[in-house]
Amino acid sequence: MTATLDKPQIRGKSKSAQMRKYGFFPGCVAKESCKELFNSTMLLADRLGIELVELTAASCCGASVLNDTNRDVARVLNARTYAQAEALGLDDVITICSTCTGHMRAANKELLEDEGRMAQANTILGKFNAKYDGSVTVRHLLWLLIDDIGLDELKKMVVNPLNGLKVAPFYGCHIIRPESVNGWESARNPHSLEDLIVALGGEAIDYAGKTRCCGFHVQLEKDGIAANMVGQNMRMAKDQGAEAVITPCPLCHLALDGYQADSVARWGRTDLPIFHLPQLVGLALGIDPATLGLNKHIIKPGLILEQHDLAPAHVA
Amino acid sequence: MAYTLDIFRYDQATDEVPHRDRVEITDLPDTVTVLDALEHAKAEIDGSISFRRSCRSAICGSCSMNINGTTGLACKTPVNAVLKADRSVQVDPMPNFQPMKDLVVHMDPFWDKYTRLKPYLQPADRDEDHATERRVSPEDMHKLVAVANCVMCATCYALCPVVSVDPAFAGPAAIAYAYRFIEDVRDSKRKERAAQISDDYLWLCAHCYACSYCPKHVDPHDDIIAVKRATIEEGLVDAPGPRHALVVAKTVKQTGMLHETEVIQGTVGRFNIRGLIKVAPFGLRLAMAGKIPPVFLKPVPKVDEIRTIFDTLEAPTL
Repeated sequence: MTATLDKPQIRGKSKSAQMRKYGFFPGCVAKESCKELFNSTMLLADRLGIELVELTAASCCGASVLNDTNRDVARVLNARTYAQAEALGLDDVITICSTCTGHMRAANKELLEDEGRMAQANTILGKFNAKYDGSVTVRHLLWLLIDDIGLDELKKMVVNPLNGLKVAPFYGCHIIRPESVNGWESARNPHSLEDLIVALGGEAIDYAGKTRCCGFHVQLEKDGIAANMVGQNMRMAKDQGAEAVITPCPLCHLALDGYQADSVARWGRTDLPIFHLPQLVGLALGIDPATLGLNKHIIKPGLILEQHDLAPAHVA
Repeated sequence: MAYTLDIFRYDQATDEVPHRDRVEITDLPDTVTVLDALEHAKAEIDGSISFRRSCRSAICGSCSMNINGTTGLACKTPVNAVLKADRSVQVDPMPNFQPMKDLVVHMDPFWDKYTRLKPYLQPADRDEDHATERRVSPEDMHKLVAVANCVMCATCYALCPVVSVDPAFAGPAAIAYAYRFIEDVRDSKRKERAAQISDDYLWLCAHCYACSYCPKHVDPHDDIIAVKRATIEEGLVDAPGPRHALVVAKTVKQTGMLHETEVIQGTVGRFNIRGLIKVAPFGLRLAMAGKIPPVFLKPVPKVDEIRTIFDTLEAPTL
């Protein structure tokens, strides 16, 4: 695994990193039902002193679903997005969703490794005078925090430490698997979220569910399926003592936050509040909790935040 | 240096509950495989330890088991790659199966799902006297090479989180085998096979890539996606799974975005009142938390470029 970690394409300081100015791909869910994720990301970027330039004309990444209908369409759509980043002089595209990360990276890998596919994409892009030169790297905000800001630096910026809040990491499949596409850390045993939780002053909970699937992508295919997958994972977290969960993926957030109520019959009450990555980082970095959209969750984190002296209960 | 095998022990004939045995290995280096260590333990220490094995070289697929909580072939896993801090290795039977004795499980559900596929070629003409060869071009055969490496070790089935909550799901290996016949130019039952695997909940695959840990690098996930495309090509679109894929495509083509509210309606069916009532509590919870996704979505700038991409590739939509 260490061999893949050293890939310059992933770890090297990009032009964007040097300028502290990145292409930003928020993804559909952060613009629709999880607007609090978009807002807290922008607040966090401001606090970190980085600029996220939203690619406003970008399309959906394909969300793993477009591949079910056509082998090429998601790849070419993503090539169009990368061309937009290149036109702005940005070689780093930052995502805030595990599914966007995985599928945009998969599309980029196919484009970069297969001349035929790159040519196919550029032929279509040529119809509207766009071109992708292959200079873009797609990374998640989580990777930016650790690689470009650094945990030591982040630790220095903490003004509101999490006071031992027991946080269970929930990675979301597509930020780690398949490892041939992501490869930034071990897919079987990742620890970036744990490292981050500890740097923010929290306690990281280890449990088998942290790398498992939330069920979001099959929530509508069969009754109760997502609720069961959510319940199974949250039960494991709760049994290990978790008080809250952090996830870098808004799809996981919707499923974990939304379906715990439906999983009680089989898995018992879990009631774990789910935080978006930038919400919890923002809280520790002293961003006004009232602005982080903590009240936009179904399972309210107010009580647990008050118990740990992190925010008054009424803001969440 | 010595190390310990922490072994799941259970006998369905005599035990009500399983227990664990810790077997210390002192005279075998930790550079051997987990299977070597188990065989050593069985030969030298406790002959009653049960596990399946045959080839010892990742060809037969017998020795799949849980090693430190994740599934893989014991014959392909070096002890020193998985030793915990206390120099132990925890071995358990594969999850998603009923244990029979120690590390041996009942494989029946896995084989049942395979048998249901009719896993043999069904050509259009039954050439009884084998007068001619059935030729396949290298290009057509190339598509089947990866899945031909499957040794049916069931690692993917054991790792599948959907199987763990819903045993009706065919699981990755069976769908990969469906792909193997659906994409074989000599076979004549493409539509029947696609319908069969759809009935076995093809569309319950959650796209989680847990099956990407395949010890033979079959990567069933790509095959699963290809089978989904085949079912759409065969016109098997009247179910939530294919409707979901096609309505997502439709909203991306129209707006550039995956339009959540329209996707939910399109997947469940706009006039499927019972279905809509079932998803209502989730929507209501979201709304009460102040999460109201837009009912109408303004297309992203230059959406005509996105439509050009769909049209050029003739990508299907609802």
